Amino acid sequence: MGRQLSFLLALWKTNLLSAMEYRVSFLTQVVGMMLNNALYFVFWIIFFARFEEINGWDLVDMLFLFGVVATGFGAGTYLFGNAIRLSSLIAEGLMDYYLSLPRPVLLHALASRSNASSAGDFTYGLFSFGAAIYFSGSFNGLMLLRFALGCLAAMAVLVSFLVLVQSLTFWIGNTSLLTASAFNAIVTFSLYPITLFDGTAKLVLFTLIPAAFIGALPAEFVRKFDLLQLVQICAGGAIFLLLAVFVFYRGLCRYESGSAIQVRM
Amino acid sequence: MRSREADVLSPESRVRGPAAAAVVGKYWAIFRTQLVNSLAYPIDLLGRSLAIVLFMWIFMNLWRVTYGATGASSIAGLTLADTMWYLMMAEAVMLSKRDLSETISEQVKDGSVAYLLNKPFNFILYHFAAGLGHSLLSFGGNLLIGSGIVWLMVGPPPGIMGWLFAGVAVALSWLLDFCFSTLIGLSAFVVEETNAFRWIYQKFLLLLGGVLIPLDFFPAWLQTISLNLPFAWIIYGPARLFVDPSLARLGQVLLQQGIWLAVFGGIVWVTYRRAVARLVINGG
Repeated sequence: MGRQLSFLLALWKTNLLSAMEYRVSFLTQVVGMMLNNALYFVFWIIFFARFEEINGWDLVDMLFLFGVVATGFGAGTYLFGNAIRLSSLIAEGLMDYYLSLPRPVLLHALASRSNASSAGDFTYGLFSFGAAIYFSGSFNGLMLLRFALGCLAAMAVLVSFLVLVQSLTFWIGNTSLLTASAFNAIVTFSLYPITLFDGTAKLVLFTLIPAAFIGALPAEFVRKFDLLQLVQICAGGAIFLLLAVFVFYRGLCRYESGSAIQVRM
Repeated sequence: MRSREADVLSPESRVRGPAAAAVVGKYWAIFRTQLVNSLAYPIDLLGRSLAIVLFMWIFMNLWRVTYGATGASSIAGLTLADTMWYLMMAEAVMLSKRDLSETISEQVKDGSVAYLLNKPFNFILYHFAAGLGHSLLSFGGNLLIGSGIVWLMVGPPPGIMGWLFAGVAVALSWLLDFCFSTLIGLSAFVVEETNAFRWIYQKFLLLLGGVLIPLDFFPAWLQTISLNLPFAWIIYGPARLFVDPSLARLGQVLLQQGIWLAVFGGIVWVTYRRAVARLVINGG
């Protein structure tokens, strides 16, 4: 465990040093993404200025929601950047490199790349959480702990979901369209109040497209402690993580090498 | 066998044939090639159009709850059905427009712009013709699927005039959007990273363009600002015309689109000339 952790830390350090070679590009993407998210949030400011609340959700709830989703999404796609391009690694036979080294294949493949813009999402999420605390007027150390836990669970479910969907590449070949649709669906649904959706839709959001575990559920938990929600968050994160690892390694048995010469720079 | 495309693309045909016809002909050939190329993958085309189902479903839930909470049958003159048809048209335009900024900026950064610049066509018009070929089919797919789902949710669409007027405005929307995409792409001649510009432009369209919410729902001061910016005439103009197809509104939309096209078309032309002048190509 300790060995894998130090391996991960070494990968993340390498990714960061690599990004720092293009400092201006990195910073442009970070600041650009923060502005991008802030502009998107203006929609909710305009919306709630006119309609005040929808099914019990108000602007402060949305700040908590954006805080958790952006932080979890940013951390997940920064630290495990290949989670959004795993299908092309599989389809193009680029897993050979990871298979030939004595390290866990999935962990190595996912953490080998970092997305600069994701650092912007992560930072924006922290600002959004800060704004949520300011406007809700309630803060204590436990809330900070709940936020960390909520973001960790959101990150685990998001990365696991992406791995699960893209692992289908082992069986059905090109899944670029499916991956893009699944990615769009989970991010879009996670940024809306869960109270908008009825029973069947809610079931979908907890299972097939687990957006509730990335957005609404951890956001509500961060705002107010609830034992049932704590159990749901932890169970959701653990189940999706185990399922993703299981399906990926089952699929890996079917992997066909492209025998292409690969150069890593 | 020589195809018609090869004829119109070859430099000698430019010299032989009437100049205007040859110019139109070669861009028509590029447009047709892209159209045929997109038609070669119908399932992919249909699959990409499914995104509109997701957005319409979320919008339906959001606005049904919102209209229910206010208890009013219409908000700012729009009923729930009007709002949903407006959003369908707005999303169809948004999802089908070809974002050429990434393509152009990649061509500038990796140097392949040099390969396109020495061809017997204008670099900018080449991208526009190719983008239009893609957008047209994509728009058709989005309209078909989007209309189907919205019809099921809120009832029949606006009358035939709405479709006709919106169709004209959408064509000019793509042209205006193309100007912005080209400017963002050409900025790669000056700055290293253009992604941030692209994201922010898209968010301006979502918000000030009226993709997420009709501008009629904005507070008066923000509505005034939005209507005086070009983004509204890329999305809001055609979509609002679709649900309220009056001649007065058509005139207003076309006038605004014409003004902004003249402004940004000019900026694109000047920027392109300057960018090409400072381009340095080493070797081949």
